[in-house]
Amino acid sequence: MSSDTAPLAALTFEHLSKTYPNQAQPALNNLNLSVPRGSRLGIIGRSGAGKSTLVRLISGLEQPESGRLLIDGENPAQLSAAQRRNRQARTGLVFQHFNLLLQRTVLGNVTLPLELQGVPRAERERRALALLDKVGLAPYAKRYPAQLSGGQKQRVGIARALVTNPTLLLADEATSALDPETSASILQLLTDLQRERDLTLVIVTHQMEVVRAATTHVAVLDSGHLVETGDTRQVIASPQHPVTRALLEAHRPAVTPGNGQMLRLVTLANLGAQTLSTLARLQASVVQAQAHPLGVDAWLLLPNTVSEAELGALSGAAAPALKLSPLAEVL
Amino acid sequence: MNWAEIYPLLWQSTLETFWMVLPSAIIAQILGMLLGVWLSVTAPGGLRPNPLVNRSLDAVVNIGRSLPFIILLVILIPVTRLIVHTSIGSTAATVPLTIAAIPFVARLVDGALRDVPQGVTEAARAMGATNSQIVRKVLLPEALPALVNSFTVMLISLIGYSAMAGAIGGGGLGDLAIRYGYQRFETEVMIATVLVLLLLVQGVQWLGDRAARTLDHR
Repeated sequence: MSSDTAPLAALTFEHLSKTYPNQAQPALNNLNLSVPRGSRLGIIGRSGAGKSTLVRLISGLEQPESGRLLIDGENPAQLSAAQRRNRQARTGLVFQHFNLLLQRTVLGNVTLPLELQGVPRAERERRALALLDKVGLAPYAKRYPAQLSGGQKQRVGIARALVTNPTLLLADEATSALDPETSASILQLLTDLQRERDLTLVIVTHQMEVVRAATTHVAVLDSGHLVETGDTRQVIASPQHPVTRALLEAHRPAVTPGNGQMLRLVTLANLGAQTLSTLARLQASVVQAQAHPLGVDAWLLLPNTVSEAELGALSGAAAPALKLSPLAEVL
Repeated sequence: MNWAEIYPLLWQSTLETFWMVLPSAIIAQILGMLLGVWLSVTAPGGLRPNPLVNRSLDAVVNIGRSLPFIILLVILIPVTRLIVHTSIGSTAATVPLTIAAIPFVARLVDGALRDVPQGVTEAARAMGATNSQIVRKVLLPEALPALVNSFTVMLISLIGYSAMAGAIGGGGLGDLAIRYGYQRFETEVMIATVLVLLLLVQGVQWLGDRAARTLDHR
């Protein structure tokens, strides 16, 4: 049954539902999605949409009520307790509130997942130090989390999540507790590591900026239902569902397009001379722009005769140098 | 009485107090910690919730804590005889002292473990930690400063309880104060004893606070 999807998908949800005891509404309702390996998927929704439940299911903290969840083609429900723990160790988790152990040093926090697996001390410290170096915190190895800033704590969290060499990295509102600048650097770190290590990165967030900045694919959740999925740029360019539009337009500038004009959000590589000349050729004006690690999000006011292809070419300049596997369509 | 007469008495009694309190405190801390871990693990929302076990342990702890020490001292005489083969003297007093302190420690440890944020426990569980690993590598180390504080509070309580050990010939500072200071109207002995007790309690509190602060990295 799983053999047809297993080779490609890092994560598969099949008719996945979850209702908590004493709750009338299901937290997740018949979720179907396949996440290709090596993709960066954003799972976005408002609070109560079912994001946390999904994270808890993937991380093994909750069991599905019906349907199934496959991680690398494996159904955790069919594994033995020891195999399931092993599976959990191979899924990296990054949390909103870091969840670091305050009585352990930075190094002690990063070595913990290996310690739990019985990896010898010298080996786990070597691996942890290599990762701390990667996230730029090697000099802080002997400090305690309380001595670090929020961004530094999250870097420790990321190093800890990766120390077991997982293939799947799950970031649950990982930047929600951080200021915009720090958020941007954490998202940059996550996307860099994703490419470098060929990870499947799942970013759970309520902020469309995060999805726009760091993901290749997006899934929109609302009241436990998956309401829209697709390529991030496409979904942003032409959102189909009202919830997606609402999430997108949280930052829409208060400008009413004139006759024959349209207001569109486009991700540009930069605002350099070449981009500006292209914008001029298209008779587009930048209404509002916000820089993020992977480019500049710009709201453009432009003639509605500009084609989707031309818009796509504009965005294309900012496309990360990553070979995308297409997001398998909703099952 | 002059100082030359009081001094050896004081010294002897202080040693007796130490001999009663320290072994009791150490054994009670170990056993109380086990009971406290068991309480918090079986609590609703714990690592392995078990309402029946939890409620039973809770009842045992409450009964243990509500019995006045002087009564415990008497009703435990058969148990004491069984364990240390005597029911009088300082050594005999360690048994009721230990048993009185266990539920006390258990309650404090239970509270200390519950104060470890759930997110941290869940993070460990999501890393594939077993319940036993979560207790040993997450809950107890994260609660260490609180555990040290609970040890200090318990030690001071035991110094107080040990004053009653005179009832079974346990000796110690409290007994000295009663026998000389109260029954023989030797006010100097009473004052000297109270001063030593005061210093002892202050010293224990100071050391405990210092240790907890050094160990606290939060």
